[in-house]
Amino acid sequence: MLEAILVVAFGGALVSYFLGRWTSRIRDYFALGVWIAILGMTSYLHQIEPKISTFYPGFLGYDLSLRITSLSWLFAVTVAAVSVLVIIYSFRYIKGHEKRNLFYFLLLLVNGGMMGITLSGDLLSFYIFWEIASWSTFLLISFNRGKALPAGLRYVVMSVIGSAAMLVATLSLYSSYGTLALSDLSTHLATAGGGYVIFIFLLFFVSFGVKNAIVPFHTWLPPAHSEAPAPFSAVLSGLLVKMGTYGLILIFYLIAGMKIFLGLGTGIWSFHYIISALAGVTIVVPSFIAVLQDDAKKTLAWSTVGQAGYIVLGVSFGTGLALAAGIFHFLNHAMFKSLLFMSIGTVERKTSTRDLNELGGLVKRTPVLFVVTLVGAAGLIGIPLTNGFFSKWMLYKTLILEGNPFLAFAALVGTWGTVLYSYRLIHNVFFGQLPEKYRDVTRTSFSTYLPMVILSIAIVFFGVFPGFLLGEINVVTTSLGFTPLDVQLWGISSDSGTVNTLNILAALAVVGVMVWYLFRSSAETTEVSQEDSYTAGAPVPQGRFTYTADFYRPLEKIIRPYLKDRIEDFYGMLVGFVGVLSDTVRRIYTGYVGTYVAYILALLAAVLLVQLGWKPW
Amino acid sequence: MVNPALLLAVPLALAFLIPLVRLVARGVVKWIPVFAMAFNFIASVLIIPRALEEAIVTEIGGFPAPFCINLVAGPLGSILSSFIALIGLLVAIYSFDYLREVPTAKYYTMYLLLLTGATGIVLTGDIFNLFVFFEILCISSYSLVAYQGNKAGIEASVKYLVQGSIGSSLLLLGIGLIYGQYGTLNMGDLAGKIEGISSPSAFVPLVLMITGLGVEAAIFPLNAWLPDAHSSAPSSISAVLSGVAIGVGLYSIARILFTVFGGTALLETLAVIGLLTLLVGELSALSQDDVKRLLAYSSIGQMGLIAFGLGLATGEGVTGGLFQLLSHGLSKALLFLSVGYMIYRSGSKKISDLQGSWKRTPVASLGFAVGAFSLVGLPPFIGFPGKFLIVRSALLKGELFYTVLVAFVLFATVVEGGYFFRVVQIIFFKGTGGRRLKREVAPVSGLIPLVVLMLLILIVGVYPGLITGLIDSAAAELTARSSYFTLVMGST
Amino acid sequence: MIFLSEYIYYIGAIGLIFIGLLIVLVKRNLIKVVIGINVLDTGVNLFLISSGYLKGGTAPIYSPGSDAAPSTMVDPVPQALVLTAIVIGASVLALALSLGIKLYDHYETLDLEEIRGQRW
Repeated sequence: MLEAILVVAFGGALVSYFLGRWTSRIRDYFALGVWIAILGMTSYLHQIEPKISTFYPGFLGYDLSLRITSLSWLFAVTVAAVSVLVIIYSFRYIKGHEKRNLFYFLLLLVNGGMMGITLSGDLLSFYIFWEIASWSTFLLISFNRGKALPAGLRYVVMSVIGSAAMLVATLSLYSSYGTLALSDLSTHLATAGGGYVIFIFLLFFVSFGVKNAIVPFHTWLPPAHSEAPAPFSAVLSGLLVKMGTYGLILIFYLIAGMKIFLGLGTGIWSFHYIISALAGVTIVVPSFIAVLQDDAKKTLAWSTVGQAGYIVLGVSFGTGLALAAGIFHFLNHAMFKSLLFMSIGTVERKTSTRDLNELGGLVKRTPVLFVVTLVGAAGLIGIPLTNGFFSKWMLYKTLILEGNPFLAFAALVGTWGTVLYSYRLIHNVFFGQLPEKYRDVTRTSFSTYLPMVILSIAIVFFGVFPGFLLGEINVVTTSLGFTPLDVQLWGISSDSGTVNTLNILAALAVVGVMVWYLFRSSAETTEVSQEDSYTAGAPVPQGRFTYTADFYRPLEKIIRPYLKDRIEDFYGMLVGFVGVLSDTVRRIYTGYVGTYVAYILALLAAVLLVQLGWKPW
Repeated sequence: MVNPALLLAVPLALAFLIPLVRLVARGVVKWIPVFAMAFNFIASVLIIPRALEEAIVTEIGGFPAPFCINLVAGPLGSILSSFIALIGLLVAIYSFDYLREVPTAKYYTMYLLLLTGATGIVLTGDIFNLFVFFEILCISSYSLVAYQGNKAGIEASVKYLVQGSIGSSLLLLGIGLIYGQYGTLNMGDLAGKIEGISSPSAFVPLVLMITGLGVEAAIFPLNAWLPDAHSSAPSSISAVLSGVAIGVGLYSIARILFTVFGGTALLETLAVIGLLTLLVGELSALSQDDVKRLLAYSSIGQMGLIAFGLGLATGEGVTGGLFQLLSHGLSKALLFLSVGYMIYRSGSKKISDLQGSWKRTPVASLGFAVGAFSLVGLPPFIGFPGKFLIVRSALLKGELFYTVLVAFVLFATVVEGGYFFRVVQIIFFKGTGGRRLKREVAPVSGLIPLVVLMLLILIVGVYPGLITGLIDSAAAELTARSSYFTLVMGST
Repeated sequence: MIFLSEYIYYIGAIGLIFIGLLIVLVKRNLIKVVIGINVLDTGVNLFLISSGYLKGGTAPIYSPGSDAAPSTMVDPVPQALVLTAIVIGASVLALALSLGIKLYDHYETLDLEEIRGQRW
């Protein structure tokens, strides 16, 4: 069954490429069919006994295996579900681009690679699928030309660094224990020395941190996410980045185990606390950088960095509630961030800009798009009755319970930033006056709306009934050794307080009724035409009145100086250094033969002299 | 059963038949290398199963060893000779269309001589014979590099010649010293006679030979000819030079060092030199704007990686090195052949002029991407198992020293990724620079080699087990001196 | 003096080798460099021959009626090697000179310091 999923995924990618050379319509539906089939197969595996099956015996002396656990099932099913929606969304989006076949092929390859990552039962297959996903991601990021090229290059270089680290860690584990199977490693690492564990952890952390865009490895993400084609931005942000999260959980909890992970160091100098602190930084700073972006997709991209911070904070903090919150937030983020990237992608496709200062008023032309975006933004902010509320609530709860005011404050401050940029996003795109040039923006097709509508329904549904997901997550955290949470369909209760969407619903209903009465009793609004306003005798400009440029100017003035991305400068310096080094090194090939002959004789003489003098050989 | 001597005799004879055939039937000429290499390929593949059981020793002239010149077709020799024949065959097919504007008869003669030389090097069991085949290889390379007669080609050829001559003189001097000391030229016999390399009588000839061979093997700092020669030669020749010739040079270093001298003490140094070569090659490639030069520097880097693998001195390290030798050969041949097409169509070697190649020459562009990904070591291409084996065996040594070296190797990989990915982007995603480019119908003879190479890279990348078994026994042959001695000299 | 007469060929050979290398190293004219390579070759050849030379030895040919013992014959192998090496050297020389002509056509000079179109 597990093998079948991968065969279908990778075979489907290849077949759809060749189908596409023949007819594009069949290719589209074929690709969709493939992933619906995969979704079906994956869902069928729900809560089966964890099992391991070798799918490739003897690859360079290893047996590559697949296995499914409750953890990997959760990630796999998310990958499959979002992939199906993204493929539906791509139908219309990618029309008119050149290289459509390549796009589908690569998209299916990335998704297949992610299925492989989640289902692999040993670190080598993990690495192989990881790399396949990485290089196809590189090609997809570069797909849009122009500014996409440097973005893709930046991504791939960091990704190669990450995978080099992973390769070393993997092979080092192999040379120490002679096995790479996840289930075997967990027993071995328990006996390892602390220094060695930290070495392995650090290498894996570099690798997964790069993918997860944790500060200081985040610099590739904003350009990559904003320059990639919109359907792929959705995959990238919702799924691919979170493969890093999956990897972290795998290493920290599954392979090393909670005891080892939480036992490294003490107090604020413990390993997991340092990672949590990094995650805290990852929440705060990017969330405010996102506020200052004028590019809608860049806003979302920085927001992804920030949200990844929440997820990693949950994963690394080390309580059952936090881990559950992290996984829950991963699921939620996959929903709302895919939705937002799709909707902004649609806006960009309709208006051919994503500059927040130029857009506006689209609510009149595309009301459905507005509603789904609003739901997505609500989820992102974490407004009650959307799914984001719950995961964040759990995270705050555990941070405060464990007495970590700084991290809790960081998470809170990050949410302020989230509110600011989400509001700006909604406001600048949909509200205000509709610029003349967008007068004839039309609604989009059904296949574009469908995935967004499904996602927004899911956001609300899981916001009201978090128990569905929390039940699954509970199984996962329990299997990783945490005490089970008390999950109900409507919410969660713990010894220090209960959250229950029923209460929230009731409260909201009361408030809603009050607000409605308030508005009813106030004066009626009157429609005023645009010309009918006082402009001191001057003719009324035909342009727009909505205030969008310099949206948060006072705030910007305060925070801009603090948000200079020194890490990016540092990497730039490194790259510059390598460039200079490269240019210097190649100067040894002077072009004059005499020098070259001198090199030959120098080597000869040096070796002979060394042997004569020291006899090292 | 095929006599290994035929692997040399057939191409050599056909090479000199070409000028005669040309007088009779001009159209047949281009088929002769194809025939010769097809024969060689089939024959060497047929030899492999028997060579795996026991190496075939052919004693030429009827004298017993050590007085004769003998050919030893062990696992390593037969694998490498089939590899040479395969690349030779594909490039010969590629040349059909590629060489339309230049006279072809001399080209094919030289081409066959080059491959004969390479085959001879991997099969011979006699160090002077090695020198002779080496010279055949080198002289035909000199003339092929200059074949187009353009400024760059001539200049590169002259420089290559000067350095190559110095190298072969050093090699010959080393051979002379060995003969003076041990009174024999047979590798097997020498393997039995030489004990340790620390005495000057063994060390000096060893260093002379390695330095001499190192010029061809492109080891730092002996590799200055390579970027010029490989970038100025016709692309088909660059493919053979990069894919086969330097690999063969490295093979002969390994053969001398491992089998003849048993110089395990030098291996650590070899690993360090390999690492330096790797770093210098990759760093120099990073800031190139000529695509063939970039590939040439990348070849230097890859040779360094192979030398690093060989220098690890574990069975697995040698396996990794040899695997990488083959994988680099396939990938680099593919890269040069693809680039040859793109340059042929766009008329420029500048990387920036490759933009839009995806539209013009889709298969060649795909070939470039596959070759580049393979060299960077991404699964599921053939470069991944190679790099993986090398890194694994370095880490399995469990010493801090090698772990640090591995860090540098991986740094070089990152650099390599940096420039290869950049070129791939330009080929596929840069757009067409405003020009309207037509897709040009590529001739079948040009596509066959590209497609075959791509398939090989992919298939062996997914199933490295197809060849790792062979390479394991080849590595065992390379490192087991005493069994080589018994093999050649008989169990006396 | 005995030392000299014993080793005169080796000294000559090594001297030639060093002279050849020095020429290649310092001379900038291609023709001179080629000459240097040839001197180097000659040195190596002389070295090979000397290693098989036996003072007062005879040609290594068994003929009926001859009573020459093998120990009085010079070693034939180096001579065979040198013959081969000379042929190779000659062909390299020919190739080098013909390339030199072409090079002059392109650059109008044979000064290798100036022929640096291919570098870095």
